[in-house]
Amino acid sequence: MNSRVIQTLILKDWRLHRTQILISLLAGVVSLALLQVKGETAFLVGSVWFFIALIVLGCMVPVSNVINERKKQNLAFLMSLPISALQYAISKMASTLGLFLMPWGVLVIAASTFVLSRGDIPKGIVPLMFILFGLPLVGFCLVAGAALVSESEGWTVAATIVSNSSYGLIWYFIIRNPAINGDLKSPVAVWSPPVLTILAEEAAAVALILGLTLYVQSRKREFV
Amino acid sequence: MSDLAIEFDGVGKTYPFFTLDHIHLRVPHGQIMGLIGPNGAGKSTTIRILMGLVQQDCGEVRVLGRRMPAEQIAAKWDIGFASEDMRLYEGMTIAWHMDFIRSIYPNWDAPYAQLLLKRFGLRAEQKIKGLSHGQRVKATLLLVLARRPRLLVLDEPTTGLDPVARHEVLKELTAVMTDEGRSILFSSHNTQDVEQISDQITFIDRGRIIDSMDKEGYLDRWRRLRLEVPLGIALPALPGIIAIRQDGRLAVATANAFAPDMANAYESTGARVRSIETMTLEEIFVANVEHSREQEVGA
Amino acid sequence: MSSSFVISQTDKRPIYLQIMEQIKQRVAVGDWTEGQVIPSIRQLAVDLQVSVITVKRAYLELEREGVIVTQQGKGSRVASKPGLGMRLQEQELEKHLEQAVRLADLLGIRPKDLQARLRETGDRRLENEMDKEGEKV
Repeated sequence: MNSRVIQTLILKDWRLHRTQILISLLAGVVSLALLQVKGETAFLVGSVWFFIALIVLGCMVPVSNVINERKKQNLAFLMSLPISALQYAISKMASTLGLFLMPWGVLVIAASTFVLSRGDIPKGIVPLMFILFGLPLVGFCLVAGAALVSESEGWTVAATIVSNSSYGLIWYFIIRNPAINGDLKSPVAVWSPPVLTILAEEAAAVALILGLTLYVQSRKREFV
Repeated sequence: MSDLAIEFDGVGKTYPFFTLDHIHLRVPHGQIMGLIGPNGAGKSTTIRILMGLVQQDCGEVRVLGRRMPAEQIAAKWDIGFASEDMRLYEGMTIAWHMDFIRSIYPNWDAPYAQLLLKRFGLRAEQKIKGLSHGQRVKATLLLVLARRPRLLVLDEPTTGLDPVARHEVLKELTAVMTDEGRSILFSSHNTQDVEQISDQITFIDRGRIIDSMDKEGYLDRWRRLRLEVPLGIALPALPGIIAIRQDGRLAVATANAFAPDMANAYESTGARVRSIETMTLEEIFVANVEHSREQEVGA
Repeated sequence: MSSSFVISQTDKRPIYLQIMEQIKQRVAVGDWTEGQVIPSIRQLAVDLQVSVITVKRAYLELEREGVIVTQQGKGSRVASKPGLGMRLQEQELEKHLEQAVRLADLLGIRPKDLQARLRETGDRRLENEMDKEGEKV
C-alpha cells in the first residue's frame, strides 16, 4: 500500500546522506590500510580508528536522518506528500537502518577479508573481532531506536552518551574475559561457549531494540 | 462527490493554552477563500486539521469529499500544501526538489514548471541555502503550483515577499481560477491580498470564527460614518453600529451591518452625516478584533 | 483586450466600481463596440488578478444598467443600446456635481454662492475659447 511513495522517501534519504556514507566508508578503508603497515602499534591504531569510524557512523545516521528532518522543519514538506504518519515512520526506520547497515556490512566484510587473508595474524582473534563488530551495531540500534521513538534531540543525545560511554567498559570486560583472551594467539578460531553466548546476547539486544522500535512506530498516528 | 471543496462541521481541538471551538467552514469548488485573523487566532491549527496533520477532538472535516484525517492520503494526492514554516532541503537544488516531486506525482506539468522558473526569476541549479527568503517561498510555491492540484492550501503565501514577488505570486494564484474545478484556501496577514483575490473571507479570532461570508457582501456591510453632532445632542445607539468615537462636535461611527436608513436615523436626531465611507479590509480587521475583544471583556 | 485595465490602490472606491467604470469608458470612447464579445468573468478576473466574485458583481451591475448582456454558456457582450454614450456622460456629470456640492459644504460655501461660482467658471471657459478663436484669426 503506497509502497512506491515509501520507496521514493527511502531513496531520498539515501541521496541526502550520500556524502556522509562515503566519508564513513573512506574512514573505515583508511583505517584498514593502516593495518597493512607492519608493527603492533599500527595494527592497534588502525583497529581503534576502524571501530571509532563505525561508532561515529552509528551516532551520525540517526541524528542526521531522523532528528534533523524535524529540526530543520523539513517535516511540513514531507507531511504534505500523500503518505500517513505511520508510512513516514516506517520509511524512516527502513532508511535509517539501511544507511548504517550498508557501510557497516561493507566494512565488516572488508575487515574480515583482510584479517583472514593475512598469514601473520593468528586466526584466534576472529571471534573477538566479530564480538567487537557487533558492539557498534548494538550501539547504533540504541541511538536509532531513541531517535525514531522519541523524535527528540535530547533523548537521542542521551542514548548516544549512554552507548558511547559504555563501549570502554564493555571492551574492558570482554578483553579481560579469560575465555576470550586465552585463545587470541591460537592459529585457529575458537568458538567457545562464552564467545557464542556474547554473540547471542548482542543479536538478542539488536532484535529486542528493533522490535520495540517497530512496535512503537506502528502505533504512531499523528505527524505532529 | 461533494460539491464543496472544504467542509468543516463543528470542529474543535483543545490544547493546554488554546482551544479551537465550533469551526464551521464551507468552501465551494472554484473559489478562493481567504482566512484572516490575528496571530495565535487559530489559522494554522485550522489548516493543519484541514490537511489531516492534526486530528480534531470533535467535528467532521471533509476535503475534496474525503474525510480527514482518516482519508488524508487519498486527499493529499489532489492537494498542494505550502506553509510558512515549511523548509526545503538546504543542501539540494531546486531541480532536485522538482525531480523529487515529479517522481511522486503523476500530473507534474514540466513545461509549466519551466515557465514558473522564468516568471519567478529562479534558476533550477541553485541550492536552497543560496536563496533569499522570497526566492525560497517562490520555490516552494512552484513545487506546489506545477502539479496543478485541485486544491491549494497555503499558509501565508505572500508574507515576507517584496512587492514584485507578491505580484508574481498573486498572478499565478488567480490564474488557477481559470479552471473552475480548482479551489484555493489561503491564510494571510496581508489584508490587501485577501481583499483583492478572495471570493470568500473567513475571520478567526481566539479560536472562534467571527465572520465567514462572501467578500463583496462582507465589504458592503462595513461603513464609516462621519457625523457632525451639535452640542446637547446625544447620539443614539443604533443596531449595526459597533463603535462610536466622538471628539467635540465631530464623531465617527463604525457600522458592521450598514443599512442606508442609518443616515436618516442619525439625521432625525439632529446630527448631520458629512460622509459615508467604505472601509478597507485592514480597517475592518482592526475594528472587528477590537470589537470582539471588548465584547469578551464586557461579558 | 483587457491589458490596459488598471485597478488603482489609491482609489477609495470598491474594485467592482472601478471595473464598471473602466468598462463604461471603453464603451463610451468606442473601443468596445455594440455587440462586441468581451472577456468572460473568469478571464477578466485572471487578467486583473482580482476575485471572480468581484468581476461577477461588476458584470451584474453593468447588465442591470444595460451596458452589457450576459448569456448562459455564451459569455458576455456589449449591449446594443443607442444613446449609451450620452447616458455615461450624464452619470459622470451628476457625480461631479454631487462632489462639488460636498466640497462646497466642507468649505462652508452656501448653495447660492456655489451657483455663482459655477456661473463664473462657465464664463471663464467661454472667454478662453473666444481668445483662442481670436488668435486663430
